[in-house]
Amino acid sequence: MDDLLADFVAETREMLQAIEGEIVAWEADPADRERLDAIFRFVHTVKGNCGFFDFPRLERLSHAAESALSEVRAGRRRASSTLVTAVLAVIDRITDMIEAIDAGEELPEGGDDMLIDALEPGRDEPDSEMIQAGEQTSPRAARTGNTRSIRLPVELLDRVMSGVSDMVLARNELARRLRDHGADPALQAPFERLSTILDEVREGATRMRMQRLEHLFGALPRMVRDLSAELGKQVMIDLEGGDVELDREMIESVRDPLTHILRNAVDHGVEPPAERLAAGKREIGIIAVSARRTGNRITIAVSDDGRGIALDKLAKKAVAAGVASAADVAAMTGEQKLDLIFAPGLSTADTVSQVSGRGVGMDVVRANVEKFGGSVSVSSKEGRGTIVFLHLPLTLSIVEGLTVKVGPHTLGLPRSYIVEIARSVSRSVEVDRLGDGIFLTFRGERVPCLDLAEVLGLEEKVDLDRATFVFLRLVSGDLFALAVDRVLDNEDFVLKPLSPALEAIGLYGGTALLDDGKPILKIDVPRLADAYGLASHTRIRTTIQERSAEASAPVEHAVVFTSFAGRRRAIRMAPIRHIHTLPVSAIEPTEAGMLATVDGAILPLLGTEGGTFTNETITALRLGDGEVELLYAVAGIVDSVELPGPVVPLEGEDTLEGTALIDGAIVGVIDAHGLFARYGRTAMPAQRPTCRLPGSDPWVASFLEPLIRSAGYDVLGDSDGCAADITVTLDTAEEPGGAAAAVVRLRSRPEGAEHDPESIYRYDREGLLSALARVRTGAR
Amino acid sequence: MGSLLLLTRIGGRPAAFRAEDIGSIVELTEIAPVPRAPDFVAGLTGLRSRALTVIDSRKALALPGTPDPPDVRAPVVEVGGHAYALLVDRVDDVVAAEGEPTPPPATLGPAWARVACGMIETAAGPAVLIDVAALVAGPHRAAA
Repeated sequence: MDDLLADFVAETREMLQAIEGEIVAWEADPADRERLDAIFRFVHTVKGNCGFFDFPRLERLSHAAESALSEVRAGRRRASSTLVTAVLAVIDRITDMIEAIDAGEELPEGGDDMLIDALEPGRDEPDSEMIQAGEQTSPRAARTGNTRSIRLPVELLDRVMSGVSDMVLARNELARRLRDHGADPALQAPFERLSTILDEVREGATRMRMQRLEHLFGALPRMVRDLSAELGKQVMIDLEGGDVELDREMIESVRDPLTHILRNAVDHGVEPPAERLAAGKREIGIIAVSARRTGNRITIAVSDDGRGIALDKLAKKAVAAGVASAADVAAMTGEQKLDLIFAPGLSTADTVSQVSGRGVGMDVVRANVEKFGGSVSVSSKEGRGTIVFLHLPLTLSIVEGLTVKVGPHTLGLPRSYIVEIARSVSRSVEVDRLGDGIFLTFRGERVPCLDLAEVLGLEEKVDLDRATFVFLRLVSGDLFALAVDRVLDNEDFVLKPLSPALEAIGLYGGTALLDDGKPILKIDVPRLADAYGLASHTRIRTTIQERSAEASAPVEHAVVFTSFAGRRRAIRMAPIRHIHTLPVSAIEPTEAGMLATVDGAILPLLGTEGGTFTNETITALRLGDGEVELLYAVAGIVDSVELPGPVVPLEGEDTLEGTALIDGAIVGVIDAHGLFARYGRTAMPAQRPTCRLPGSDPWVASFLEPLIRSAGYDVLGDSDGCAADITVTLDTAEEPGGAAAAVVRLRSRPEGAEHDPESIYRYDREGLLSALARVRTGAR
Repeated sequence: MGSLLLLTRIGGRPAAFRAEDIGSIVELTEIAPVPRAPDFVAGLTGLRSRALTVIDSRKALALPGTPDPPDVRAPVVEVGGHAYALLVDRVDDVVAAEGEPTPPPATLGPAWARVACGMIETAAGPAVLIDVAALVAGPHRAAA
């Protein structure tokens, strides 16, 4: 019986949520038969159910509402605003009673008769007028029936989820063993099938936790209706994207911030009708709430067509509140001023109203949203309206991040803060020690830097000459860097909460298991920044530097795709010759790897690791270096993009040239040189030509040498006596000693071509490679 | 009568856990140390899809030294929704309690008294019955 009762409460609550929007829509258009039917069905169901449970008061209320509504349905009565209000009051009372039943309390006493009386046709209302036939709208297409569903405890879902996670870990372990022991093809095929099925199950299990945003949106029309009525405003709400799915915990977390933003929009955004008319707007303000999903993030935008935010007024308030000085404010751009809205203790309202109050400001909204890994931004035009964007991660528990190594420790950094990664040896970073602090000069900006080893209290500090710097931008806009020994890889962290003893350290924001089952800790970036005083409390950047270096960099294009292993990868456009769709029958696994026939040629097929051929055809990129061709299988092509900024080398991933930041995501860039070096070898000349490099420079050793090697050269050092086919020099115009067939001169800076027109900028890959190619064809 | 206990040794002394407090016994293969963690936290270890906080029971009792050789088997307990693996000198046996626990005598010493919920008689002799929540909280909480 208790189970039945709990089901009744849960079901009624769910219906209540769903019905709220309908009621407001019905009020706006009382002739809307479909809405009326939905509400009628609700009270009818409640009446039926509570009769069964013996809740006489609930039954009487729902019966009264049902009768009144059935009169309307029969066309004997009109849905006046009085009737709507009375029905709303009944539904509110039903809600209260349901809560009381759930809490096991006595139902709230009395007042039912008044509510029921209010449903009766009124004396001063022309309620009983017959509805004219023409007033009825044509009935809309009936809704499709509900999909079948069952109710499950969240705990059970969590258990299934963690079971699936365990299976994935076990699968990865098994995959590693199979690889290490040389897989028997008889095992490989069923293993891959199992693997694919498991991935599907995992996706399904993840989706089980998802809920449509409708659950959140359902309550909004009613709220806006009540608010605007209270404030004497007329507001219409427009909801879009209710079918977007979000982790149910996330939906709960976003409820309060969203409610607050909506209140602000009604209270401060939308003007009273008279003011709107005077401004040449429609009397009725429109608030649009829309949600959409991009990649792993959801954006909810709340826009109103109200008065917008007066920047100067806001700035004055900020000065008055002591958030910023008059000089600060004078130097701010519009965007920066707008950002003051997130400063603590600021409100744009002249009067403190009952609705928005003064207690909770946008600073609290921002803090709450950031707590679960989201962010808030605002855009506004004075007189035209305001849009508030909530950017949310898809789930609370999965965070994209980067693993870094410091001493013996592997740690995770959440991706959302990372703006750039630079290596000390790349010389794009200057390191200064001032006092006890470390400061970097990077792209004309001076950035404070923390030695992560020092932060962690390790004995051995990070060697700043060989360190990798991860640049992190806090939501407040402050930039700082962390010096680490190495950057390892991109990972999706499935975050688990920390035990209290570890939480108390104040450095970590959760733990996650890597694919191999090893636990790592995620650094809590905001807390770290706070602990070291790196976060200013308002977003005021003292200097905004011109990023001239960026503008002059040559634009390179790349194709972004999803790899067979499900990772997002990019490959430079240059080596791509063609995109093929190949039948799986054209693929032949061999001892030496996959081969595929295309256009009568047999080419090696790469990129199939970690996936299976589930379709009859696959997509493959045909790559060529002018001599050798090979195929690279992809699960799907995402986009072609400009490669923004430099590709940052990544250690421990020999198939990747490095990573680039594309559309806010870190994407691994396929090392095409590496591919050709490894798989195009058969076509290489047997005798590799030799190349002499200046030995002393670390840049040469770590950057140039691999490139030269992958271009097919054996590398000789300065001291090797034998003759080289080609000599490369850096930043010197002199002819080097020793016999060489040809010399390629590199220079460190992009400029300077006028002094030495034949020299090549050292990052001019194309130039360097074509120079090498010229020499090679000439040498043969 | 008959309630089961897991008998272990911590700092050379018998320490008993209620069997219902123990989720499982794991073999600790690898413990990832946590920088800046209090010293009674030996680190983290992965158990299937969970990360366990590894508690060094000796240090949690403010006892000196490390067991030699340490037992790779560690009882796993759950406190406040978090899973912990407990490093003990060694895991002895599962035994039946003989009688009900008696209040801890005053002479246990402050560290033991903090984590003890009583004394218990077993077939293998008397043991201190450990309150796992107090144990995983570490010695620093004692002051609070």
